[in-house]
Amino acid sequence: MSTPHDLHTGFDLLAGLAAAALPGAGHALAGDPKRGLRIGAGVLGLFTAGLLIGGIDCVDRAEDGWWFIPQAMIGPAAFAVDHYHQNFLKKPRPTNPGFQPPPNSPRITPAPGPGQTYTKSLGKPNDIGILFTSIAGMLNLIVVIDAAFPTRRRPR
Amino acid sequence: MPTLTPILAWTPFLDPIDIHRVWYLTLIPLAFGIAVVYKAVRLHDLNHYWRHVLIMTAQIALGIIALAIATWLLVILILPAIAP
Repeated sequence: MSTPHDLHTGFDLLAGLAAAALPGAGHALAGDPKRGLRIGAGVLGLFTAGLLIGGIDCVDRAEDGWWFIPQAMIGPAAFAVDHYHQNFLKKPRPTNPGFQPPPNSPRITPAPGPGQTYTKSLGKPNDIGILFTSIAGMLNLIVVIDAAFPTRRRPR
Repeated sequence: MPTLTPILAWTPFLDPIDIHRVWYLTLIPLAFGIAVVYKAVRLHDLNHYWRHVLIMTAQIALGIIALAIATWLLVILILPAIAP
């Protein structure tokens, strides 16, 4: 049984852009909401699980720039998380007066200082959180390609 | 109760979870998440979707366990025998 998404052929720019903006939206836009819902739940579920395990410190464009490349493939959600991390948790604020940005060794700041609103993620939780969020982003790259080039799916 | 202190101080999504002792259990949700997305993209027909997802989850988990055993054998048994 072919799904509506399989009936599209060639290149679907709008579906590709929608998939890049929100995981699963590309397939839903192409007429396959059931598939899109499962994709969205899977990708965003992995990303959320990564944030839950490793904390928000797992998404850090400033200190983990190379890891942010696959994470950014999630779309605006990754940039929003990083923006919140950089601008509301790291910067000294009236509610966060004790936080001092690390000078040269940014990863050696495990202790939450006075007023610091989050804990630096280290060790296994950090590794696994980064792994979850990065795999979610790389999976979304596959989803974007599949949404943009729907003819690549073949019946078994 | 000192054992409750870390839980009470934990803020979801801001603080990491203390999974240093049971980190390997995260293989299951990771494999499940990968299978959910991959099968949603790959399958032509979604009628038997969840069965395919569970099979792929098991395949990934067993594959990683097999790799872990093979690596353990190589590092702990074979390499010391070759180059003591």
